[in-house]
Order: sequence, then structure tokens, then C-alpha cells
Amino acid sequence: MFNLLKIVKNTGDVTVKYPFAPLELMPAFRGKPEYDPKQCIACAACTMACPANALTMETDVKAGVRTWQLFVGRCIFCGRCEEVCPTHALTLSQMFELAVTNKVDLYERATFSLCNCRICNRPFAPRKEVEYVMALMVQAGIDANVVNTRRSLLETCPECRRRQNILDKNNIILNPQSIWRTDDDAE
Amino acid sequence: MSNEATQTTKTRPAGSKLGAGYVANVRQRFPNAIVDEERQTADQLTITVKIDYLQDVVQYLYYDQGGWLSIAFGNDERSLNGHFAIYYALSMEEGEKCWVVVRTLIDPAHPEFPSVTTRVPAAIWAEREMRDMFGLTPIGIPDERRLVLPDDWPDNLYPLRKDSMDYRRRPEPTVDDETYTFLNELGDEKNRVIPLGPMHVTSDEPGHFRLFVDGENIVDADYRLFYVHRGMEKVAELRMGYHEITFLAERVCGICGYAHSITYANSIENAIGIEVPKRAHWIRTLLLEAERLHSHLLNLGLVCHFCGFDAGFQQFFRVREKSMTIAEMLTGARKTYGLNLVGGIRRDILKDARQKTMQLLDEIGREGSELIAMLVETTNFEQRTKGIGILHPKVARDFSPVGPMVRGSGFTRDVRVDHPYAAYADIPKNVYSADGCDIYSRAVVRINEFHDSIAQCKYALDNLPDGPILVEGFTYTPHKFALGHTEAPRGEDVHWSMTGTNQKVFRWRCRAATYANWPVLRHTLRGNTVSDAALIIGSVDPCYSCTDRVTLVDVRKRKAKTVSYEEFERYGIDRVRTPLI
Repeated sequence: MFNLLKIVKNTGDVTVKYPFAPLELMPAFRGKPEYDPKQCIACAACTMACPANALTMETDVKAGVRTWQLFVGRCIFCGRCEEVCPTHALTLSQMFELAVTNKVDLYERATFSLCNCRICNRPFAPRKEVEYVMALMVQAGIDANVVNTRRSLLETCPECRRRQNILDKNNIILNPQSIWRTDDDAE
Repeated sequence: MSNEATQTTKTRPAGSKLGAGYVANVRQRFPNAIVDEERQTADQLTITVKIDYLQDVVQYLYYDQGGWLSIAFGNDERSLNGHFAIYYALSMEEGEKCWVVVRTLIDPAHPEFPSVTTRVPAAIWAEREMRDMFGLTPIGIPDERRLVLPDDWPDNLYPLRKDSMDYRRRPEPTVDDETYTFLNELGDEKNRVIPLGPMHVTSDEPGHFRLFVDGENIVDADYRLFYVHRGMEKVAELRMGYHEITFLAERVCGICGYAHSITYANSIENAIGIEVPKRAHWIRTLLLEAERLHSHLLNLGLVCHFCGFDAGFQQFFRVREKSMTIAEMLTGARKTYGLNLVGGIRRDILKDARQKTMQLLDEIGREGSELIAMLVETTNFEQRTKGIGILHPKVARDFSPVGPMVRGSGFTRDVRVDHPYAAYADIPKNVYSADGCDIYSRAVVRINEFHDSIAQCKYALDNLPDGPILVEGFTYTPHKFALGHTEAPRGEDVHWSMTGTNQKVFRWRCRAATYANWPVLRHTLRGNTVSDAALIIGSVDPCYSCTDRVTLVDVRKRKAKTVSYEEFERYGIDRVRTPLI
């Protein structure tokens, strides 16, 4: 008993003043993800990595838009989104006081317009992502004008591009001597 | 009183394969039993036996070869080989230390198998669960009640069968009444029945306890859990990728979640043979020990609380807060560290954090020792814990309990030493056990482990190897399986995973430490008084939570009396003015 009293006396007051004074956090603390829509290219990498499905992406083909959404109510503050984001659009802040009186306030959304394919005229990727690819090519040292001339190719959906690359049989001219003889031919 | 088996760090010769001796012994004893043999890792072997030999082989390995049953489970392998499979994972701890998993195939046309529980009691919960989840009937099982599924669950719907159900669809409850029978094995109808729960005693997941009492003495106890079964295994199989499950596994427990996360990651790493970088192993080990610090301090605090020593409880929590600070500093969160991926960890430890952690560890060590000294010399503490809640070594041997529970009964079981994982083979440590078999012994084990954890954390920080912390770019091969294991503060967590296609897991079986400890609880409650019940349950160290209320039923007068939980707890602490009258 005497020892306990001694410990109590030596310890003094350890209670912190929170919430009447700010709570001291470690610099490494992971809180609510801060989102910068200007940086985001709507690539959906974060929504694939999010273990809790707090991050989702919905594409509305009719309206030609894709909506990114964060639902803080599901967020587990793991920071996987921050890790996989190619453009640093997401960073985990120190914010932890996230209670709201209205559930709607837990949602955060951003809408991006989609890029239509030049051939089939169907949306295939977010416009910002296409622009980002072109910017990357410029960064990689390709002349800006050259990149611009490839715009029509980059604004074509992968399916149409593939179709364009399939050559018509009649157009193929092969050197007859280079054709491999098969067993069928031998018969 | 307290034993110490000092561990001599045995470094295994590289590439040595363990466990072949056991298989040879089984072959010699039962020449026609083994159909197939497959090795997963250097110390993990799976043998497929004929179904008729299942009981014999498990019994032989368990009692004659020094095995302990860690985990048993079913798996729906009809899409792979046309059969159901059941697995009994035995941790071999006498002689060569390794894992031998006994597997047997079951024809879907006759979904039954001979119950191993009749020979090895430790299989009881696992076999009841196999029946609930896969519809595989253990023939001859002594307890045919449901374990996991609610009373009104449809009879022919088995949740973990691959073709049975979408995890989002759950049949609506049809009745409100419970039809579960609680068994009074030792007493008779004259005993009073004290139901505690369904939100009850000190356990995080709601559990319903029935104490069968004769006056103040507990004759027998039965309990039912799984009121909030979360269906994690099904969610993991159907909806998550292999990386995401590390975060799900972390949420199995609110106290020792990181251990589960590591256990899962280990099982996948073992299955597909990923070599985790050394530094990642060391940091994982460091964090596991930091987790043990906070968990043991929590339990010691709660032991104080249940002995009616709340000032001590507050002091332990004050010191425990420092271990939470360490976690926040090193991982970014006080709990659910979120640091693991399959193949390593996500965050390194930098110099500043390292120095600050060292300083905090010193403080925890100093202040914790003061408190422990104070606790041990408090007469009330010894009075309430010595000779109470006896777990007889024979019962322990039969039921394979884990952690401080089994170490408090004289066994030196600890997977950190028996099957070293992460960096435990390189960090010096001791295994502590005590012979009292009572609450006091369990507390003594925890006290010793607390000191040892601090030493291990410091050693890990001082000797942290350099290098990368994560491997990426491995090939995720389908249908490989292995065990993962971790010594969590409450005992070993064992997971078994089979990889699947499409970046998913085919089957994830997760066994938490307390799952292995529940079946022995009724034995520790028997012969004690009602006022010790809360303390005994607390000494198992299940996850705590507050409790609604306690209903007291007098079966003879057919009268029920409900008292608040505060009142019941007060009685446990003061032990005057019984609420039973």
C-alpha cells in the first residue's frame, strides 16, 4: 500500500487536457486521406488497392463521366492509396476527429470527363489520363510536336487500335520462297 | 514456483528438412495408411491418409510422438480433386520440432468421417465447426450441438462450401428463441443455473455462459460463443485479393491484431516460397513484442481490477500508454498497424523513432517493474489468485490450450522457440512456465514475458540488419498451401492458407489463440466459487468488453432474477452481500 502511494505521488498528473487542448500526435500518424482532385487522373489504382472498399470509382458511359468517391466511414487509414497513387493525389493527413452529424458529410466525390475513341466514338479512358500519358512522353524526351501528332492514335481505344493493326489478308504480300511448307501442303 | 527454460538458440543447418522421421514412424506403425506425402516448407509436411486410419494416425502422432493439435479444418476441394478434404495440423514438440499435417479426403457422396475427438479431445471444436461449415459429419463425436451456426440456420446450407452461398446473402432469422442446450456434465437438476450473457463476461465477442452452481460453488459451466460470427473466411475467399487479407486479418482481434496479420502473411509466404528480407523479419518481430507489451500490461491491469484493486489497474494502464505511443510512432497507428504485405512490411524504422523507442522502453521497464513489485506484494492479490482456477496438466495435455494458459500449467510450449518464425531464431529469449496451474501462475508467466519482451525489443533495435523491407514481383501460384504461425500474447495463432486463382485465396483458415483455450475453460471453472468466475475467465485473457447484465435462474423455484452486471462484478470484487438470494 505504501509503495502504491509512493508511485502515485512520484507520478503526479498524467492526464492530458484533450479535447480542451490539442492532442499531441506522432509525426508518423496516419489519419484521414487528403485528396487533391487537381493531381488526380482518375486511373483507379487507389480503388483497386483499398482493402476496405472506402475508395470506389464509378463510370457513367452515357454521361461520359467517371466519379471517384471516398467514404471515410469505411476508411481504415492504412495508406495503401497513398502508396499506389502515381500522381500523389492522395496523402494521409493527421486528421482524426472525423465524427459528423450527417452521414453525407463522410463522402467526398470528384467527377472526371471521359475521352471518346476517335473511331468508335465510345468512351474508353479518363481525359486526364490520356493527357497524362502525353505529358509523360514529353517528359521522356520526345518532342512536344511529335507527341501532338500522335494524339489521334492515343485517343483511339485499345480495341479499335488492335483492329486497325490487323492486316487484311489480301494486302499481305509475302515472298513465296519464305513460306514454310507444312505437312498439309505435302499431301 | 516459476520455471525458466533458457532457450539455446539453435540455428538449423541450412536446407535441412525436418519431420521425415515422424512419417517413417507412421509408415512403420500403419503400413498401409499413407496415400501421399507432400512437403510445404523445411519444417512443414502434409500426409494424406486413408480415411479409416485418420483416428489412429492423429492419435499416434498426438500422444505417442509428442504432438499437439493446433488447428483442424475442412476444405471444399471438389473443384480440384472431386473430394472434400479435412486437415489436422499437429505441432510436433518432443524430439524433432516441426509441423505434421494429417489430411484425408472425403467422398462428397458420403460426407462423413470417423471423429478424432473420441481419441484426441482437442479436436472437439474444430470437428463441430467442420460439420457446421461443410456438412461433414464426424461419426461418434461426443457433442453433436452446433458450434458456429445459429439455431435457426437452415439444415442443408453449409456456408463454406464453394457452391453454397454468396457471402452477402444470409438467411433471415426465423425464430427468436434459443434452442441450444447447455450441458451440465458433473451436476444434476438440483443445481442452480446462472446464465451470464449473451453479452458477457469480460469477453469481447458476446458469449453466453451458464454456471451450474450448488450454493456458491460452481459444479460445471457451459458456454456458447459465435454470436457475432463475422464470416471473415468467406469474405476473404470471395471478395478480397491476397494483399488485402493482411488488413482483414489484422481485424480479427482488437488487441493482438498484428500477430494475425503476420500469421496470414507467413502462411502465404510459406505456401509460395517467398523469402522475406531480413530487415522486414526483424521489424515484424520488434512490433510483435511491442504488441505483447501492451497486451500483457492490459491483462495485468485487469487482474488488478478483478481483484478489486482499481488503483493498480489505473497505474498499469498509465504505463501501457507508453507502449501504445511506441506503436503509433513506429507504425502510424496505436492499433491495427496496417504495416504488413505478403512479402514484407511497408514502413521502415528511422533513427529518431529508434532512439525515442529505446527511451520509452527504458521507461516502461522501470515503471512496469515498480508496479509489478507493488502488485505481487499486495496480499489481496495472492489471496484471490493462488489455487484458484486450476487447469490440471492432464486436461491441458488433452485439449492443447496455448499461451500463458498452458505455460501456467507447467508446459513450455511457445512457437517462438518451437518453430521459430520471423527473426525469433536470431533474437535471444526465454520461455517461462510456472507449475501452480492457477491464476497466479498465469500472471507470473505474463510478468516474466513482459520483462523478456522489453529485452527482445531492445536487442532488435540494437541489431537491426540493413537491407530492403519488402519483396515484390513474386509469382502468385495457385493451389499451394501452408501453415503460418505466430505466438500472440494470448498464445499461438495458426492460419492455414491455400492460394487460389485470380489473385485470390482459395481457403483461409484462421485460428485465434483463444479458440484453443475456450474448451478448457469449463475445467478451470469447476470447483470454484461464483465470485471467482470473472477472475478465472479474465485469466484466460479473452478480449474484454463490458457486459450488459447477468440473469440468475433458480431452477427449483422456476424464478428468474436479473441483476446488473455492475452488481455481479461488484460481488466478484467485494465478495459480500451475494446477489444470489
